[in-house]
Amino acid sequence: MRERDPAWVAPAVEASKVNPLGGRADAVAGGRKVFHQRCATCHGEDGRGGTKAPDLIRPDAQAQTDGALFWKISGGDSHRGMPGFSFLPEAQRWQLVLHLRALATAASPDRSGSR
Amino acid sequence: MTTLRTVACIIGMLCALSARSVSAQERAYFVTYDHYLEEPGNLEIAVASTTGFPKNHQPSYTAPWLELEYGVSGWWTTELYVEGVTTRHDGSGFAGWRWENRFRPLKGEHRINPVLYVEYESINEASRILKEIVGSGPLALEPIAELRQTHAHELEGKLILSSVVGPWNVSENFVVEKNLSEDEGLEFGYSVGVSRSLGSLASGTSCHVCRENFVAGVEAYGGLGSTEAAALAETRHFAAPVLAWHVTPRSTLKVSTGFGLTGASDRYLLRVGWAYELPIGGR
Repeated sequence: MRERDPAWVAPAVEASKVNPLGGRADAVAGGRKVFHQRCATCHGEDGRGGTKAPDLIRPDAQAQTDGALFWKISGGDSHRGMPGFSFLPEAQRWQLVLHLRALATAASPDRSGSR
Repeated sequence: MTTLRTVACIIGMLCALSARSVSAQERAYFVTYDHYLEEPGNLEIAVASTTGFPKNHQPSYTAPWLELEYGVSGWWTTELYVEGVTTRHDGSGFAGWRWENRFRPLKGEHRINPVLYVEYESINEASRILKEIVGSGPLALEPIAELRQTHAHELEGKLILSSVVGPWNVSENFVVEKNLSEDEGLEFGYSVGVSRSLGSLASGTSCHVCRENFVAGVEAYGGLGSTEAAALAETRHFAAPVLAWHVTPRSTLKVSTGFGLTGASDRYLLRVGWAYELPIGGR
């Protein structure tokens, strides 16, 4: 299992950004589709990771703010193999964040998915 | 029958290899590079062609090429090209091969993202794919068979700068090329491009012909003379609208029509390309 890089931290100003699609239940399905197309190869359909990419459902990954996840999805960490997805429209990157929260909620139904 | 069986076999192999999800991030441009490299472990197979319509009733030409692009790591993509050429009433032939490497020195996303590009070319003077335009002067008009006799080993470097500005990608490439077979000095060129996705929110259902699957833009490219001939007269320049369609998550079809802007330029360049992405290695 690939471990998450603890040194890869979003700048405070990026981490404080709020998901403009928060509460848009209709946008989650689009996030699921984009995740399947762009992310599942490495992170797995369930987001549990593998040898190429870390588990996105783990509490320490989910403890990050929506803004921090958006920043990481956008820029990537090319030197550790995570590509940047800034070529996707901004709305789709926020949809991915929505889906990551939905994955965690599905894995642990008693946990709140919003931050 | 044998050919049909071979094609069926290749398609079957591609389907088997691509059973898992992987997504094409093929740029819309044909000439300009942005800062996105191939995803690590992905192999992209692309076929494309450039068809040129010269001025002064010169015969048109078509230059097909095959492209194999592999993501070695998050900061290094390597690519092999094999190209040919065919000219109306003037025969066809192999035009050579190229080995390209792109390196991304900085991690993360920046206001301007640099990528360093190094390419070795073993081509002949009949090469017409026009993946870059450098130096000055129009294309040689001699017969293909004659041009193929003149071989060239060339080294090409590019500084690729690429930015995300709102929904737009803005990319600038600066090209320098050295013909190692002849003393032509250093030749210079450029390309710039802007493009954007036509969609915003992703729909929740699978769709092929929907706005989110299209990227449109325009690129411009041309020569900037050389150390031997710095004059910009006789340089070739083109402006080309581009359109990419992500037909499926793994495949992209793209087209472009380039319009020649100077007397030395061909009248039009019609480009068509199709790319298919395969994941290599496990999760």
